Amino acid sequence: MGVQVIMDHAGDTRHYFSMDDGEALATAHDRFQLLMSRGFTAAVREANGQAKVVRSFDPSADETLFYPRLIGG
Amino acid sequence: MTPRRLFFGTHYLWQLTVSKGRVAFDTFRQRCKEVEDIREARGMALLREWLSPEQRAQLDASRSFDVVGCHTGKRYRIRLGSRTNVYEIDQDGRPIIGWCFAPSENLVRGDVMLAQKIALEADENAALAVANKFPVPISHQ
Repeated sequence: MGVQVIMDHAGDTRHYFSMDDGEALATAHDRFQLLMSRGFTAAVREANGQAKVVRSFDPSADETLFYPRLIGG
Repeated sequence: MTPRRLFFGTHYLWQLTVSKGRVAFDTFRQRCKEVEDIREARGMALLREWLSPEQRAQLDASRSFDVVGCHTGKRYRIRLGSRTNVYEIDQDGRPIIGWCFAPSENLVRGDVMLAQKIALEADENAALAVANKFPVPISHQ
């Protein structure tokens, strides 16, 4: 089971999908592309726990976190 | 009905309306606070999921945690907060300069701190490119 975690005003919203389900993967891929086009950054956790920014959809990632575009304060 | 009775009757109704309005407002305010607390708790839970065990322990002990920039190797301290809460620190852990950057949307503190952590650890140059510097307050020196 994969999950896409999107930071938002409610804390976060989670979208779970089965990695064996082609239709669910396509939906997850489309969501990834949509968020990228809106300026979100996607990150996954590597085996050592370190975060890594990703630019393309990784269907094997257990958890992908999205945060909105960063701006200077 | 005498004018006196009319006056006190109107006054009584007015007080009743104000009183009920106040109760409704207090209930609404209490509900808003509960929702806000839930949002904050969700943000902090997500942050803790992504922190290393050392960072988690540091956050519990000092309400801040340190990260290492992926490009420069510099160390930064992210304090509990959502604005002007990131400091570059020296070898002794003393703040040198502040870096102000955050997600563009209105997020809870935990989410903001997590975005700052990931940005510095995995995409440092991009984070610093948008960040503004600010001097370290004397209270933090």
